[in-house]
Amino acid sequence: MITVRVPSPLRSYTAGAAQVNASGRTIGELLGDLDRHHPGMRFRMVDEQERIRPHIRIFINQREVQTLSEGLQATDEVHLICALSGG
Amino acid sequence: MSLSDSERERYSRHLLLPEIGVAGQEKLKRAKVLVVGAGGLGSPASLYLAAAGVGTLGIVDHDRVDLSNLQRQLLFATSDVGAGKALTAQTRLRALNPDVSVIAHELELRGDNALELLDAYDLVVDGSDRLATRYLVNDACVVLKKPLVSAAIHRFEGQAMSYVPGRGPCYRCLFPESAEGLVPNCAEAGVLGVLPGMLGALQATEAIKLVLGLGQALVGRLLTYDALAMQWREFRFARREDCAVCGREPTITRQSLLAAGKSGPGAPGLKRLKPRQLQERLEQRNKAVAAVAIVDVREPREFSAGHLPGAVNIPLADLSERLGEIPPHASVVFVCRSGNRSQAACTLAARAGRAELADLEGGMLAWAAMIDPAMTVAPFR
Repeated sequence: MITVRVPSPLRSYTAGAAQVNASGRTIGELLGDLDRHHPGMRFRMVDEQERIRPHIRIFINQREVQTLSEGLQATDEVHLICALSGG
Repeated sequence: MSLSDSERERYSRHLLLPEIGVAGQEKLKRAKVLVVGAGGLGSPASLYLAAAGVGTLGIVDHDRVDLSNLQRQLLFATSDVGAGKALTAQTRLRALNPDVSVIAHELELRGDNALELLDAYDLVVDGSDRLATRYLVNDACVVLKKPLVSAAIHRFEGQAMSYVPGRGPCYRCLFPESAEGLVPNCAEAGVLGVLPGMLGALQATEAIKLVLGLGQALVGRLLTYDALAMQWREFRFARREDCAVCGREPTITRQSLLAAGKSGPGAPGLKRLKPRQLQERLEQRNKAVAAVAIVDVREPREFSAGHLPGAVNIPLADLSERLGEIPPHASVVFVCRSGNRSQAACTLAARAGRAELADLEGGMLAWAAMIDPAMTVAPFR
């Protein structure tokens, strides 16, 4: 299982959890698995054209993800980052 | 611009640092820094910048001090409630350090005033609480080639980055488009009062480093802070070749900013209704004088807790797909919790070709405060 760090604007989908586990060989599969356990979460991150939404960035460890096809290792940590607006 | 005897005493702890010394302190005295937003971030940032002896400090804010601000906005006292933020901040900062020239800009930052205003400063610290302003400040800084220290907060989480012209990516390289309304602000989601203290102090640190040319700037690095886990993390990101403002073929330019600017960073040409004005419209609708559709763009959970009579619920995330459900000849009023998501809804509907659009300024929170105290307004999480 891969550790996924959830930003606070998306924690309403994970019952407030800041960290969840999910599985997948690629980022796309991982987001699909997340959505099965936390319905609606994927659509907040990926649009109808299968693009990562422009206010969301995904990092594998510290490396920025460009496409949903990027591969994952079991030891990876995935960080979901959401633009914040508060000041 | 040399230091007076009292300045040498005031800044003596800086002068002891070889990295700053007299030459560095004189550099700070010559510096002109603009703080956008005298809120949770702008409070600590401006207090530290004034204390540090930044010679000219501008404060932009068009809002008034609210009692609910005092849990985190340390520029203000209880006796300031109701007063203009920019002028109150000016008084407070002048009291802290009379050697600093503090300029209050009591205005809403817009495309047609941002360029001129920012151009008068060497560096910008962004502590605004709206994404539209955040993008406007970034775009103006890129166009004007001004360094920018940006930060944002949400509940227990914060993030910060710096932009330095020619040295790395801008905020739009990180998040290419605004998601106004999809990302709740402090009024909607709540915020730990001390959180902006951490991030605002970090912004002041970055600003001072950039003025002095010290250390490593937070360029191409997003720093995130989680107060609950008490963890800082760093993520590297690169400049986008296709960035709309700093990329190879920018579509956001000096001209486009000026042209888009007349109606502020929100949706151009759209009406904002005060709660009293919306109440009048509802009365007109009840008398069948006018067709008015009230569209509540909050989440279903918030809608069920309490909503306006006759309102339909289309969450903002679903709006583009469900615009067809709104009667085509009705004038539309979008409402949400505090007026952010409703503005985004207006913009989205206007882009889809809908006319007669308005939203409720201040959202259901303002409605409950001014019209119906019995209305339950659920938090946006």
